[in-house]
This record gives sequence, C-alpha cells and structure tokens, in this order.
Amino acid sequence: MNMQIEIDQIDKYYGAYHALKSVDVRIPQGQFVALVGPSGCGKSTLLRTIAGLETISSGAIRIAGADVSSAPPRQRDLAMVFQSYALYPHKTVAGNMTYALRLKGMNRAQARARAEEIAAITGLEKLMDRYPRELSGGQRQRVAMGRAIVREPQAFLFDEPLSNLDAALRVHMRAEIRKLHDRIGATSVYVTHDQIEAMTMADHVVVMRAGVIEQQGAPLDLYDRPVNRFVAGFIGSPAMNFVPARVGDDGGHVILDLPGSPRLTFDGHRPAGEAVIVGLRPEHLIPGTGDNALSLPIANVERTGSATFVRTATDPDVMIAANDRLAGVTTGTITVTIRPELIYLFSPETDGALRTG
Amino acid sequence: MSAPTSSFRDGRGFDRILVWITLGFLIVFSAFPLVYNVIMSFQNVDLFTLASFDRPFVGLDNYDEVLTRNATQIIVRNTAVFVVLSVAAQLSIGFALALFFQQRFPGATWLRGLFLAGWIMPGLVVGGVWSFILAGDFGVLNWLLQTLGVTDDKIFWLSDPSKSLYSVIIANVWVGVPFNMILLSVGLAAIPDDIYEAAELDGAGRVWRFLTITLPLMRAQLGAVISLGIIFTLQQFDLFAALTQGGPSNGSNVMQYWSWELSFQDYRIGQGSAVSVLMILVVIGVAAIYVRSTRHEHAA
Repeated sequence: MNMQIEIDQIDKYYGAYHALKSVDVRIPQGQFVALVGPSGCGKSTLLRTIAGLETISSGAIRIAGADVSSAPPRQRDLAMVFQSYALYPHKTVAGNMTYALRLKGMNRAQARARAEEIAAITGLEKLMDRYPRELSGGQRQRVAMGRAIVREPQAFLFDEPLSNLDAALRVHMRAEIRKLHDRIGATSVYVTHDQIEAMTMADHVVVMRAGVIEQQGAPLDLYDRPVNRFVAGFIGSPAMNFVPARVGDDGGHVILDLPGSPRLTFDGHRPAGEAVIVGLRPEHLIPGTGDNALSLPIANVERTGSATFVRTATDPDVMIAANDRLAGVTTGTITVTIRPELIYLFSPETDGALRTG
Repeated sequence: MSAPTSSFRDGRGFDRILVWITLGFLIVFSAFPLVYNVIMSFQNVDLFTLASFDRPFVGLDNYDEVLTRNATQIIVRNTAVFVVLSVAAQLSIGFALALFFQQRFPGATWLRGLFLAGWIMPGLVVGGVWSFILAGDFGVLNWLLQTLGVTDDKIFWLSDPSKSLYSVIIANVWVGVPFNMILLSVGLAAIPDDIYEAAELDGAGRVWRFLTITLPLMRAQLGAVISLGIIFTLQQFDLFAALTQGGPSNGSNVMQYWSWELSFQDYRIGQGSAVSVLMILVVIGVAAIYVRSTRHEHAA
C-alpha cells in the first residue's frame, strides 16, 4: 500500500527525559489513525513531531515518500486542528480560511471562492464575515476544520479537537469528522485520550504509554486480542476486570482468588499451578446460571435504562455490565456465566497476554 | 447589575464613598489647577498680581505673544522632533527587547527585571548620570568614541546647539525603553503559542508571522504605548533641567521647559500658562486616541 506518513524508529528526548522511545508507525494514504493513551503517554508529542513543531532526536519521518525529519513545519504541507482551535482572533472566518492560500500566492478572489466552497461542506457559509469571538465552541471547531480542509494538505493532524465541546456535540462532531475524512479521502492522524473516540473513528489505533507504543492495529483487534494488561484495561468501557488466580490441576481451568475460590474453565491449556491474572470483560459476564458460573456478593447496582452495572463486594471488585434491567437484583449475590473462549489470561510478572479471546 | 440607587438604599454606600474619594482627589489636585491654569492664560499675571485672584483679563494677548516670538518656531520644532524621535526610538527598541526576552533563555525574566532600573530612577538622577556620560571634556561617551577611533575630536554633546537636543533625546529614550518593553512584553505574552504554530503550519515564515500575527494582535498595546509615550515625553522636564536647561540659545528648548522658564524664571506667568494650555490641547488629542485603542482592547 502507498504509505503517506512513515514514522521510522523515532526517539525524542527533553533533556534527560525520554519522551518517545523507538516509535514506529506506518500510515497508508487515506487511513484514519488514532493515537490514544493516558495523559503524558507521548501521543501529543508524537503528533507535534509529525507536524514539525517538535524536533526528533533520532529516527526519520517521511511524508509522501519525502524525508522531512528536519524540515520546518511550513515545508511539510500538513494541516492541524488544535485543541484550542488556535483561530486567528483578528481575522474573520473567511480570513482564517484563506490565510494559508494567500501565503501560497493564490489571489484574493480565488482564495475566497475556494473558502466558500469548503464553507459549504462544513456549514460555515453564513459565518464567513464573523470573527472567532462571535462564534460558539462548535462553530469555532468547524472553522478550525474548514481552515485545515481548504488547504488540501498531505495529511490532517488532530490534537484532541473535541475535548472542549460538550458531550452531545462531541458525539455529533465525531461522526462529522469521520464523514469529512471519508469524503475528502485524506490521511488523518487523530490524538485523543478517549478510547471510545479512537475505537469509533479510526481505521487503525495506536495505543501508547510512557513514550512507547504498546500495541497498534484495527480497533476490534485491540479489543479482542490485547497484547498486554495495559491495552486490555485501556480499550473497552467499562474497563476489563482483573482477578489474580492460579491454573488448576488439569491446566484447563483457573481458580480465582475470590471468596469461595470459584473455578472457571478457559479455552486452551496452561501449566498447572501457574499464577495468572484473569481478565474478564464486564459485558462478557452474563447474569444467570449455567456452565462456568460465578456467584459473588453485590456491592451496588446502577441502572442507566439501557444497561445495568453491578459492582461486587469483593477484593478486587468485579464489574458486570448487563444489557437488561435485572429487575429485583439489588442486594445479596449475583450469579454470572462466561464463555470459556472469552477468558483472558495475563502474566502477573510481565503483564503480557498468555491467552486472549 | 443593580440600579445605581439600590446600594444606597441597602445602606451600603461604600461604593459611592470610593467614587467620591477619587473624584474629590481629582477635583482638588487635577481639575482645579487645570482650570486655574486656563484662567491664568487669559490674564496678565506677573510678580505684582501673583498674590491676588483679581487680575486684569487680557483676552488672547498671552497666546498672541507666545506664538509670535522669535523663539517660538524653533521651540515648537524642537518639541516635535523630541517627541517623534523619542517615541519612535523608545517604541522600536522597547519592542525589539520585548521580542528578545520573549525567547525562553536562562535568566530572561531576571534580565528583563533589571531593565526597569532606568524607569524607577528619578529623572534628575538619570539626568545627572547622563551629564557625566555626555560631558564634553571628561565624558565617558567621548572617551569611548575616541578610544574606538570613531572620532578624533571631542564632541560637545551638551553645549553644541546642533547636538544638545539629540543628547536629551538619547537620555529620554533610555528612560522610556523599559516602560515600552514591559507593556509590550505583557501584550506578547498574551498571544497564545498555538496561534503561531497554526500560522507556521499554514506556511508563514518568521517575518510573515510577525507582520500578520504579532503586529495586528498587538494593535491595542501599540496604540496605548504610543499615546502614553507621547504624553510622558511631553511631560519630560527633569532631563532638560539636568542636562541642557534648554540651551544653548534655545537649541534644545521644548515647550514644557519653555513654559516653566516663562512662568518661574521670567515671571510671565500668563504666557507660561498659555504655553501649557496649548500643550494640554495636544495631550487631549493623544488621550482620545489612547482611550479609543484601549476600548478596542476590551472588545477583542
């Protein structure tokens, strides 16, 4: 496939602090890539090194085949949508959108016509002569998008563009950004700390922690086959439950370190007596009796209408997410079952996955 | 916001007391002297009538007198040169320093603070220091220029009529630069980094970013600094008193110093007042520009 952005083994130091460690990502033309991770994981730093706003200490960055490792931002032909939008406060919406075009030498009329075109697809037609201070948060967000699109750059870079919007607008803009991406067919790199945004928008998700890429791949691959406990806990909501356990005598079941030492059969085989961490996704624990059942005391129950969340009074606690009301379940114990192939096992020493779903 | 009378009925008149204290201060120490000065400019005031309020009104005679003197033309021109050159140099050097200290390097804040030294020193002290620097026979500047081989002969900075005004301008620029720098630094610090980054990604180089981002966003601060600079420069008296006393032969005389000379050396107080009223008119014009530029700042 034709690679649009290649990040080749880059390292970034701030003094002695190692911010990016041998980061390697390849982004094909037209792909939507999300960089996700907790704050301080290096995802914004990585985006800024692609933009050229930060220098790299070693490695190489290529855009459309050209090595831009030491090129200044303006020679990289990338457009960025900032978290704060970074609109030019002294320029109108039209002025914001035509700024880059005018710098490229396009004449005033052509630039304006081009901006009008993009304004039509981003819903800004009626706002062209307003100043940023006269716009709402959502409108500013659109201007930031429009300003990026109008340039027809090699790729779009998004730095948590939705984090200043309220929840409802965020969900709406999520879909809209993805729709614009598909319509334009451009390459996008999207930084977010919200795994739902990453999962729903991206073709390819890069999970980072402490400057290292923990795992990258298609969203559902990360959900189904996390390589370690960090990715397993980060992807999916509510987060995966982790329970210490020991593999039983036959090597095909685990004995959980929970009241009553419940036994769960899993798909596959591990050495008998091995200490493991069992990963159970809340949505895989189905209330009701049957094979592979688990009975646990209830701490509290939360009903959202569409789903019911039960937290158990155990150490560690276990979260159960059910898709029905569970009428009558309030106190006492709850029994859930889980299919053997949905049980994840991790090594307590390395946190690496021993068995995934 | 509550209606203006409500806080009074509440029994909480504290806000009004604050307003009246301020107003009272302004009336006693600003409005009264101002009006008194304007009245004097239409009267014949000399040493004999100084003690009495009942002085003969002479209409526009004082204005006629000061505007038709031989020295008037040179003094007005000196004032214009003094203001324009001082403000232009203060502004460009102050802005350049503000941009320089905006770069993050070790000790930047510290060094910027040291620049304030010039601003907090009394004008007469600054004048004293500069008169040592600029002195013709034993001055530091002449020594430096001669040592570096820039000039062979001593330059009489303060006593050469063609140079004395520029000597005061140099000292005045030194006094005004810190104020300009600090005010402009505040304005520069208020421009978010990501706007520059956005412009950089949009393809703007360093110079272009300065012209299309920094300058327009600094409009309010620049307007304020220029108008305040003009006002402060028109008030600059100490340096003239300490360096040249307006001489030689009015070579460095300016209106503010001339007004003082007329009033307190020649005791033609009516004429001195007339000169200061003319200056007030200029300052009002500049103040109007200042108010307009700060209003723009609130809107942004």
